[in-house]
Parts: sequence; C-alpha cells; structure tokens
Amino acid sequence: MKRYQDIAGDGGSNIVAQVAEQAGRVKSRMAAVRRIIAVMSGKGGVGKSSVTVNLAAALALEGAAVGILDADINGPSIAKMAGVRGRPLLQGDNGVVPPAAALGIKVMSMDLFLPDDQTPVLWQAPGQKDAYTWRGMMEAAALREFLADTEWGALDFLFIDLPPGSDKLPNLADLLPRLDGVVAVSIPSGVSRLVVARSITVAVELLNAPLIGLVENMAAYVCAHCGREEEMFPPARQENTAEELKAPLLGKIPFDPRIARAGDEGRLFLNDHAHTPAGRAIRQIAGKVKAFL
Amino acid sequence: MKFLCVECDAPMKLQETRGPDEGSMAVIFGCPRCGKGVAMLTNPMETQMVRSLGVKIGGAGTAAEPMGMVKSSLAYRREEAAAASPPEISASIAGEEKSVNSIEGRDSSGCPFSGAVSEAFAKQESGLSWTSEARARLERIPAFVRPMVQKSIEAHAREKGLSEIDGAVMDEMKDRVGM
Ligand SMILES: Nc1ncnc2c1ncn2[C@@H]1O[C@H](COP(=O)(O)OP(=O)(O)OP(=O)(O)O)[C@@H](O)[C@H]1O
Ligand SMILES: [Mg+2]
Ligand SMILES: [Zn+2]
Repeated sequence: MKRYQDIAGDGGSNIVAQVAEQAGRVKSRMAAVRRIIAVMSGKGGVGKSSVTVNLAAALALEGAAVGILDADINGPSIAKMAGVRGRPLLQGDNGVVPPAAALGIKVMSMDLFLPDDQTPVLWQAPGQKDAYTWRGMMEAAALREFLADTEWGALDFLFIDLPPGSDKLPNLADLLPRLDGVVAVSIPSGVSRLVVARSITVAVELLNAPLIGLVENMAAYVCAHCGREEEMFPPARQENTAEELKAPLLGKIPFDPRIARAGDEGRLFLNDHAHTPAGRAIRQIAGKVKAFL
Repeated sequence: MKFLCVECDAPMKLQETRGPDEGSMAVIFGCPRCGKGVAMLTNPMETQMVRSLGVKIGGAGTAAEPMGMVKSSLAYRREEAAAASPPEISASIAGEEKSVNSIEGRDSSGCPFSGAVSEAFAKQESGLSWTSEARARLERIPAFVRPMVQKSIEAHAREKGLSEIDGAVMDEMKDRVGM
C-alpha cells in the first residue's frame, strides 16, 4: 500500500508553508517602518493609550510619518482618541488603507471593525465556552493581520499601544520581526515602586526589546486658577521607580483634564495645547524617545 | 492529510467541500480509478483550529485576502451593521474570492481542509447564490477589489430582497462599481 510520502503533493504541510508565508508578509511590511516602539505599563488605566497618541502627535508635529497600531484587541481606544472611529476601511492595492487622523497619523484598530460602542469583540466559535478557548489564537491572528495587511507605507515611527497586563506580550514578541524600544508608563500611586518596577521588568523581558524609559503620567495637577503645578503624591517616588528599573525617567506629564477631553472628542491634545505644561512635557518626552532610537 | 483508495492503491482526488454546518465540514474525495467516494467529516474544534490560523487552501495559488481572519471570524462586524445602508460602503471588504465548491483544478493531493474552512465561513455569511454568469463576471474583476465589490453587490441584492445574484443585478451595479 502506498505511504504518505509516496503520494505527490505537500498534503497538510500546506498549512506550515502558509504560516511561514504569513510571517514573511509581516516582515516585508515592517521593512518600510524605520522604528517600532511599544507603549506598555504594569497596570491598566494609567494612560498608555493617551501617552501613545500624544507621543505620536508630537513626532508627527515635527514632520515625521507616524502610525499607531492598537494592539489592545479587546479594549481598543486609539481609534476614538485619534478621532477616526467610524471611518470606513478602504481596500487598497496592497492591503487595507488605515484611516488617517489629524497630522496624518495612520491608525489601525479593532475598533474600526466593530459596529458600535456596545459591541464587544466576540469571535465566532463552535460554542460560547469554546469562544474563550480560541480567544488567544484569534487575537494573535488579528494582530498579525493588522501588522501585515495594513497599508502602513513608509513610516518613521510605528507606535504599538499594548493591552494592560503581560499575558499577551509573548504573542506580540513572536509576531514582530523586531521591536526597537519600549516606553513604560506609570502613575504615582500607593503601590510600592518595587512592584511597579518588577511588573515593568517582566513585561520588557517578554517583549525582548530595550526599555527606552519611564513616563510618569498624571504626576501633578495644574491649578485651574493660578496655573501652578502641584504634586499629587509625595515627590521623588517616580525617580525611585525609574532607578529601580535602571532606566531613565523620560518625563512627567501632569494631570490635565484637557487631555481626557481631547481623547473623548477624538482631537489631538497637542494640536490645540502644545504650549501648556502637559504639552511641553509630552514634546520633551517625544524628543527623548527619538534621541534614544 | 491525504486519502488513498486501498483497493486500487491510488491517491484519491478532492471533489467537493460542504459546510460549514454547525461548525462541521465535509470534505469529499473520490477514487479516480474505481469511483468510490469517501468523506472526511470534521468536528467544530478541528474546523476552528485551522480557521484561527487564518490559512487558505492551495495557499500558493490564491492571494490571501487582507484581514481575512478578522473579517470572517468576528461575530459582529461593522459591515453587517451597515448591510442595510447604501452599498457603496467600502468598509465591506469581507468575502471570499472563489466559490468553495469550484475546487477542481486544485492540487488534489494537497490538504483540502485548511483554506476551505476560511473560505466556506466567508461564503456562508452572505446566504446569497450567484448564477454562473454573474460569478464569471465577478471573476473578471481584479482580485484585490473583488471581495469589496462582491460585498457591495450582495448588500445591494439584500436590500432589494433578492436571494440570487444574476446578470441583471450585476448590470444595476455596473455604473456604481465600475465593472
Ligand atoms: N495626563 C492626563 N491628564 C488627565 N487625564 C488623563 C491623563 N492621561 C490619561 N488620562 C485619562 O485617563 C483615562 C485612562 O487613560 P488611557 O485610556 O490612556 O489609559 P490606558 O492605560 O490606555 O488604559 P487601559 O489599560 O484600559 O488601556 C482616560 O480617560 C484618559 O483620557
Ligand atoms: Mg489603553
Ligand atoms: Zn479505488
């Protein structure tokens, strides 16, 4: 009786070849991107997405070609913050055209595929119980498609806004042909600086890329009456986190309600408020990121 | 996976895929010598496994559709919500490139399963059939815009309450999509 090898053709290995081909597509797409930067944090809700959009805007303001990949598949927020939510996805010659936000920032996000705010990301699966099982694989496949099938074109910087937590990071590290640097975001909080530093260290190890430095977000607030900056927490705490990380403190962004409002309205904060304390801090941090790379 | 007719000691040829039906697919092979047939039936897990890899049958031949996995696997998508609105929405980029059942001519000893899955799921969603004339006209449209055009046409047909797309529907859409 004939054996598997006796029958011509590659049989099931077809799948292996295709998976390899997928990796090749990511690689060739990323070849036109000069620098890939991931923005992460140890905890959720500290302002990763806001920092991502604002750093992207700062570099775009200087004339750089910038893109943002929203890697937060289940909690996408970049499309809204950048004001491209609801824009149509056009099919280009060579992939899907990412909608351009103000300053020409190209955005790809799961959000662009969802019908509305209320719709959660649900994958078709044999059953609801199974949907959970498949989630990880579907998310990884979605990320790969976002990287490979988006017409990013030639970019100076591609920012990747990461989901909170570290469980998805190995996926991303596997998918990316390279990652040029990681920006960590944290807020002053009661949590010990050691805990924050450790969770960031773990994440950076998983991503297998150099840590550019730490951004301290919502570090102070600007008094609405007199414009003075006030520390929200006892000073010097973040320097310590940065020390613990053996990474530079890139800068502190004060709490400014206009950042939140701009995000809600899908307007770029820097476009209107480049010369506020927060605006200056963001531009300085962007300058340091650029210098690092 | 390959199939061999034991009696004839001959490799079987892929004839047809059916489904997905509640997550299962049937992949049918026939022996070119004696004509016997056999069907491989997949369980939903096996179907899903291949699907989540985002791979396609005969990978070398047909270009993979951009964002194919995302678009064919999300439970609720934008284009579904938009199906009732005018068909020129370019967001409607999901869709298959070839009829799943027209697999003659493909390498019969290749694994029949992988891409047939993604394609079949994409196909299933439209729930519309195409006449062979309409299908042939669609095939003449460049591959990279074809899925988009197809979705537009299907949205148009749905809007008009049609279940089949024929030459007349194509004519109506002609000016709008420039076929
Ligand atoms: N410096 C700031 N001043 C005022 N509000 C801010 C500032 N930074 C972020 N915010 C607001 O805080 C909220 C959380 O920010 P953001 O969504 O960027 O956090 P995140 O770390 O991306 O969250 P998640 O972990 O859920 O992805 C948002 O409403 C945002 O507008
Ligand atoms: Mg976020
Ligand atoms: Zn036989």
